[in-house]
Amino acid sequence: MYQDYLGEVKKLLHGKDYKVVGKNVIRVDAIEKVTGRAKYTTDFIIENALIVRAVRSPYPHALIKKINKKPAFKIPGVVAVIIGDDIPGENQCGYYLDDQPLIATDKVRYIGDIVALVVAKDKESAWAGADAVEVKYEELPAVFDPKEALKGDFKIHNRKSPGDVKVIKGDVEQAFKECDVIVENIYKPGSQDHAYLETEAAIAIPEAQDGILVISTNQGPFRTRNAVARVLGKPQSQVRVITPYIGGGFGGKDTYGPIISSLAAVAAEITRQPAMIVHTRYDSFVYHFKRCPFEIRFKSGATKDGKLKAIEVDYLCDCGGYAAHVIGLLKRAAYHSTGVYEIPNCNVQGIAVYTNNLPVAAFNGFGNPQMLFAVESQMDLLAEKLNIDPVEFRLKNALVPGSRTGTNQLLDHSVGIKELISKVAKKADWVKKRSKQKRWQSETKKRGIGIGCSWHGCGTTGFKHDWAGASVILNPDGSVTYSTGIVEIGQGTITSHAMMVAETLGIPYEWVKVELNDTSRMPDSGETHAQRGAFIGGTAAVDAALKLRKKLNKLASEILKCDEDEITIEDGIAYSLNDASKKISFNDLVREMYQRGISPAEYGFIKARRGYPDPDTGQGDPYAAYTFGCTIAEVEIDIETGEVNVLRLYPGVAAGKILQPDVVRGQINGCAMLGLGYSLTEVVERENGKMVNPSFTDYLIPTIMDKPEIAEFISVEDEYKYSGYGAKGVGEIAFIATPLAVANAVYDAIGVRFYDLPISAEKVYFALKRK
Amino acid sequence: MEEEIRPLPKFDYFSPHSLHDLSTLLKQLKGGISFLAGGTDLLVNMKKRITIPKVIIDINRIQELSFIEKRSNNIHVGSVTRLNNLIESSIVQENVPLLTEAIRFLASHPIRNRATIGGNLCTASPAADAAPPLLALNASVKLKSPDDEKIVPLSEFFVGPRQTVRKHNEILTEIIIPCEKGSNAFMKLGRRRGFTLSVVSVAAFGIIKGDKFEDIRIALGGVAPTPIRAYKIEEMLKGVEVSDRSIEKAAEIAKSISKPSKRAKRASVEYREAMARVLTKRVLMKIAFEERG
Amino acid sequence: MKIKFQLNGQPVEAEAPIDETLLDFLRNRLRITSVKKGCDLGECGTCTVLLNGKPVRSCLLLAVQIDGEDVTTIEGLSKDDNLNPIQEAFVKEYGFQCGFCTPGMILTTKALLDKNPDPSIEDIKIAFEGNLCRCTGYDQIIESVLRAAKLIKR
Repeated sequence: MYQDYLGEVKKLLHGKDYKVVGKNVIRVDAIEKVTGRAKYTTDFIIENALIVRAVRSPYPHALIKKINKKPAFKIPGVVAVIIGDDIPGENQCGYYLDDQPLIATDKVRYIGDIVALVVAKDKESAWAGADAVEVKYEELPAVFDPKEALKGDFKIHNRKSPGDVKVIKGDVEQAFKECDVIVENIYKPGSQDHAYLETEAAIAIPEAQDGILVISTNQGPFRTRNAVARVLGKPQSQVRVITPYIGGGFGGKDTYGPIISSLAAVAAEITRQPAMIVHTRYDSFVYHFKRCPFEIRFKSGATKDGKLKAIEVDYLCDCGGYAAHVIGLLKRAAYHSTGVYEIPNCNVQGIAVYTNNLPVAAFNGFGNPQMLFAVESQMDLLAEKLNIDPVEFRLKNALVPGSRTGTNQLLDHSVGIKELISKVAKKADWVKKRSKQKRWQSETKKRGIGIGCSWHGCGTTGFKHDWAGASVILNPDGSVTYSTGIVEIGQGTITSHAMMVAETLGIPYEWVKVELNDTSRMPDSGETHAQRGAFIGGTAAVDAALKLRKKLNKLASEILKCDEDEITIEDGIAYSLNDASKKISFNDLVREMYQRGISPAEYGFIKARRGYPDPDTGQGDPYAAYTFGCTIAEVEIDIETGEVNVLRLYPGVAAGKILQPDVVRGQINGCAMLGLGYSLTEVVERENGKMVNPSFTDYLIPTIMDKPEIAEFISVEDEYKYSGYGAKGVGEIAFIATPLAVANAVYDAIGVRFYDLPISAEKVYFALKRK
Repeated sequence: MEEEIRPLPKFDYFSPHSLHDLSTLLKQLKGGISFLAGGTDLLVNMKKRITIPKVIIDINRIQELSFIEKRSNNIHVGSVTRLNNLIESSIVQENVPLLTEAIRFLASHPIRNRATIGGNLCTASPAADAAPPLLALNASVKLKSPDDEKIVPLSEFFVGPRQTVRKHNEILTEIIIPCEKGSNAFMKLGRRRGFTLSVVSVAAFGIIKGDKFEDIRIALGGVAPTPIRAYKIEEMLKGVEVSDRSIEKAAEIAKSISKPSKRAKRASVEYREAMARVLTKRVLMKIAFEERG
Repeated sequence: MKIKFQLNGQPVEAEAPIDETLLDFLRNRLRITSVKKGCDLGECGTCTVLLNGKPVRSCLLLAVQIDGEDVTTIEGLSKDDNLNPIQEAFVKEYGFQCGFCTPGMILTTKALLDKNPDPSIEDIKIAFEGNLCRCTGYDQIIESVLRAAKLIKR
């Protein structure tokens, strides 16, 4: 079941260099995107589509006593008012747990919880109708502090916590006794909004045979389909989800895609007319779920020779009113809580707690930015106590092939972190810049340099399935039709799939056409998240292409009358390596397949090579492979205003084979800026759990002016053999390392450590004043 | 509290082509009027239902309101002059460079292509970047109603957050800025580097003779319900020797006269006061440095 | 209200409701969906159009305000698949990812290069300050603009 895809592909190429993989090609989506023709959800303008507007709770915690639909019908354009009881199927849209009704019926659990939908002929009527629906609430005591929620008795749900996680390894108590230095602190990394430029939207259209078509902003077409089927009470085959181009996802549309799609679908099903729902920017900021705030108590110890011995970690995830994505990110954070280091003794306990805040979403890093912020701050604190350089300290403890992780997973290959740290440090000229003597500073400006290391398991965490499909059809003219269950959210994955299919088949990249993402074409392929687009989805593409390539090789050997092993296919020509005059063009070969009745189409299907850690000890193999990251940041701080100016970032990744260097650079630089926002300016200000700075004027994502110099990224190509072309995921890794490096650089500059994020100018100013 | 974004409300729309037509229109209409200039605040406020005008009078087609001229020793700027036209104007750059400097980073380039100087003043945001330099330059504004016209010093124009002395049937037609030779400095502190609202901004105009401040005029934004002139600093510095001590003293005054609203978002009162001090110091140091070389 | 204006070099006559923004008018009535609604408040830049050659926010203009004016959207830059040099540069330099900000970025480039054929990085930053991008980190956008400038000069 788990093939050495890397080995197989290399064998096919007879040791020759790749023709497509690792090169920069014109992205599949390039022409459409630069001409403005690329279609996003709201660009599918459906004539006479009804407009759906949600009626949302103004209370964070309340019983719904009565809903009066009637006043809404006084608005002439209003067609329907839908409450929870009207939902044709099951009124349930929880992500991992069944704790979230699509439309609340008995009580509301956060400001914005949906209590009704108004469906109208036009926008104005939908808005007016939503204003008119009368809902009587009985307010309940609400709680916004997770610690209070854990102590008190707020009965948000019938239990206080949707889930917990443990990683228990070795003897932590004994190990701390043997440590020469111990550091213990509390960290509170906060929330963050995805702030993608396209807001959430969905269109649902009734189709033939009682089916329904959904076009929506989502990162998980199959999860979306399954969610819609559930609320409509239909078999999954009756729901088709088309996912067009997505204007940024970062995890947010993974969580909210199924929800917004279900809202449109319910409206369309009940009215039997096309219906659409579009979030305004305000709606997006205030109502779509965001990054989970953590509170982490982190204790770590090392011996005086600089070896890490033990960690003890307790943490709390404030998941808001519903569990949504918290279970996954809670577990992922625990499984990465050693950082990129070998630590023999671990006691890690995490718990998620319901509050009346806005629920939490998947977001780039998925719990790791929060956990690793603590890990990497602790590393610098330990290094300081041990009087060891932070880079040296990291190198002493970094994972190597043969290391075991905190979950006791044996990493037998593809572990490039140590080499990566050395290379990034060298590129950044770490030793010289870290030296306090030679450093530039002025009366008002101080400079510093810091490092952050990250890792991120590729694929979903080992408590749920992880599989994906792909299909390749060879057309009679030699062109190739490719379909995938992976979504193009800007990351460029579908291009990398096309490249791998072309390379595997031995044809030019341009011959491969990637089809629009449509659930009716593909078996369930999971979501486009968890760095799995190229890693799992791409491997499915290689799996399908390999099956066809083997058939092509066999057929060519028969036609050319030579040994199968002699055959190679390059640039669309199959020929014998021993006698190049024995050749046949790819299209002739394909036509021959048709003639001889050999199927010219194949599905690929992949399951991630990993296990399910034990729920009591967290021991096991939660991920198939890990991508590693290392970023060094140089900062300059204005000590009078507190402004932190990041001068330079030096990012690096050990992400296996880099399939498209320039696309990966774009991912890394984009991640760096997303991380910069989380480091310095992005604050979700909340009152009663509701965001109160919901605009780009007040929620401050980095602009082009905020861009530091970002060095060309370092790559250590620590190929993973069970994936197509040895690639690992690269979408999230550079994000995670950025805030860690920035926070450590700030400390280096001014000697003040921040235990929460972001490090705003005002915070720095007051910290320096107190100092 | 930030408001939801709704579809635009219904309104009547007029687009006069001259001040004369405008006067005629104003005589006929009875209140509920919003003037549409750049629209970069008005349309936002309408979508958020902060402003619900019955009537919109689009003044963009009134050519008479769009000009930059030097008359005797004053610069006259028509109220519907776009901010980018002001920034690019050589008349403004040569005669009142403080204004250029201050609005160069106001909002963003495409916003400045529409936003007007008159609109920026009439919106009267405590954080409007155009106000402090114009205050420091002793600018005044011309207000015109159907049957009257008056000139109001800008220092008397603002009365509160988003409030001015302008009456509903009055239109701000031009800004008059006296030209003087001296040094200029403008600094703003936002919460990020690009496309940011000022938390605090300070503009100063100064003349130094010998080692002494002969004349300093300084204005601050973001530290009170309206942009303010810091007369106390001006009086204190007049005739005083340029030194770290005198500048430090002036900066302390800036802090003490700052009275930011407790309800103001985006920064705490204490931080705003502290930054008033830092920016005042830096602005004065820049002037001292420039004048003395 | 009936309005007449130039759209991408062609005269257009259309009925525009007075309470409709230029953005909604272009998208919903003229079906020009390359003009995106990212925030509807002038803060993001995805709805950029060129009004008489200058980049403006179509979400902050009433459709009726363009009567008699000249409007350019990205459709005005290229015919069929013959890319404008700016578009070519964005393809080659990977100046896009999700693509939602891209029409606005390309139009902003057009206006910048029309006025300043040889911009510095600082000039580019000032021109693009109001165009948010959450994916690229901006480097490849800057490189696209620089390449476009070179391509146009050639």
